[in-house]
Amino acid sequence: MLCDRCKLREAKVLYTEIINGAKTEQHLCEECATDYTSFQMENPLLNTDMTLNSLLSTLLGAYQTNTTNKSGETQGDLVCERCKTTYDEFLKRGRFGCAQCYRSFNKVLGKTLRGIQGAQEHTGKRPKGFLSTTDRIIKDMSETERLTLELQKAIEREEFENAARLRDMIRQLKKEEANNA
Amino acid sequence: MLKWYEQIVPDGDVVISSRVRLARNLEDYMFSPLLKESDAVKLVDEVKKMTPALANQDKRKYYSCNIRSLSDIDKAAMVERHIVSPLLVDKEQTTGLILSDDETVSIMINEEDHVRIQAIVGGMNLEEAYEIANRIDDIAYDSLKFAYDEKYGYMTSCPTNSGTGMRASCMMFLPALSSARMIQKLIEEVGRYGVTIRGIYGEGTKSLGSIYQISNQKTLGNSEREIIQNLNRIVDQVMKQERKRREYMLSLNSDEIEDQVYRAYGILKYARQISSDDAMTLLSQLKFGADCGLIKFDREFNIHKMMMGVQPGSLQWTLGKNVGSATRDKSRAEYISKELPTIV
Repeated sequence: MLCDRCKLREAKVLYTEIINGAKTEQHLCEECATDYTSFQMENPLLNTDMTLNSLLSTLLGAYQTNTTNKSGETQGDLVCERCKTTYDEFLKRGRFGCAQCYRSFNKVLGKTLRGIQGAQEHTGKRPKGFLSTTDRIIKDMSETERLTLELQKAIEREEFENAARLRDMIRQLKKEEANNA
Repeated sequence: MLKWYEQIVPDGDVVISSRVRLARNLEDYMFSPLLKESDAVKLVDEVKKMTPALANQDKRKYYSCNIRSLSDIDKAAMVERHIVSPLLVDKEQTTGLILSDDETVSIMINEEDHVRIQAIVGGMNLEEAYEIANRIDDIAYDSLKFAYDEKYGYMTSCPTNSGTGMRASCMMFLPALSSARMIQKLIEEVGRYGVTIRGIYGEGTKSLGSIYQISNQKTLGNSEREIIQNLNRIVDQVMKQERKRREYMLSLNSDEIEDQVYRAYGILKYARQISSDDAMTLLSQLKFGADCGLIKFDREFNIHKMMMGVQPGSLQWTLGKNVGSATRDKSRAEYISKELPTIV
């Protein structure tokens, strides 16, 4: 059988594409398969990475199409201010251009990540000394505010002894503040 | 110090090794697809600078090099021993490596991500592999500014790695399950728990000698410990199934299996030339026999070490020269015959 695209070479790959439920099948030769689907034939060890790559960009693309349809906006035009990668280029390549891309694509990235990772927020390791936004807010709080926050947490965890202790500490602090004023 | 593949380890009959890899990128450089060669050179130099700090804070000795300075044989042998990935050695750009003397820790520089920290230990011990990789990550963070975001975690070049940037995997020896053609079913089953099974040298590669890699698929949303606990549970289940299947096979055809094991030993010990695929198949049968107690040797030895030793790159590395495949098949037979202990 000849290749469906170039109609010149022998077809060696059956390429099935399912986009929004519509299934299309194509018989492709190695060359066209390489161009069209990112299949690489020569190096078996690298080949798979490429397959994964095209699979990934197809996947990413599918989420992208969905979001565009719903909101009616073109998110592909979002561009990373640092490396100038557009959201479309990111989808095509399946790779970010720099760390800033994550922040630049922040608005639409959550959905994409949920699609491939089943989650959109990191809950694991933090580098030593890394302060999150919440940490920074807590750091800037007064002693009374910080204790009040701890008191709320203690109540939520039903640690009432601890809560009573914190309540007394807060009272004491407030009294001192009043005296000082 | 013994290397991970020279030790005799618990559960070594099914789990050959446990590995944890952490993907990290530096905030100040473009990610791999956009990195210029001049910056790749800078990146490799900057990361290599932490080698003395590693040596100071860890009991291992560390060496660093540019991959380009290695011979093709070195590269092939390192890929076969899982020290580096095929991508790292095949990349045209400047890439680098920091390696510990016991081959437990390797840090790949400018692979798909700027830095990939890998720790590999023998047997089923993902916790230890993670402890080691995690410590190296902390030491590296003292001098390198890793790209980290409180929402997305470690920012990686590919979105399939973001979050923890961690891939934990066990190399499993599954002769009974694979001869019962149960691997495909297993792949489907473990897939539901976010775990994948692949051939020995990664994605899509064929499985040699019934050795498979089983690893976590997702890197975002769960903590490192949760990912490891989940993988542990599954590896443990697969291990139990493999052992059960082995018992079952033995109860049905113990004479045939024993015969096959001794034939494998005979060919391995006395063949004059042997291809690497043949050697892998026979060594896998021999390992199966040894694990089931069907065959005993006059000294303990790790068959998996020999499985790596018979690969083309490692073999030429031992020989110290590049040889054609015919000579290689002869040298391989000599190597096996010499290394194989006597039966008691």
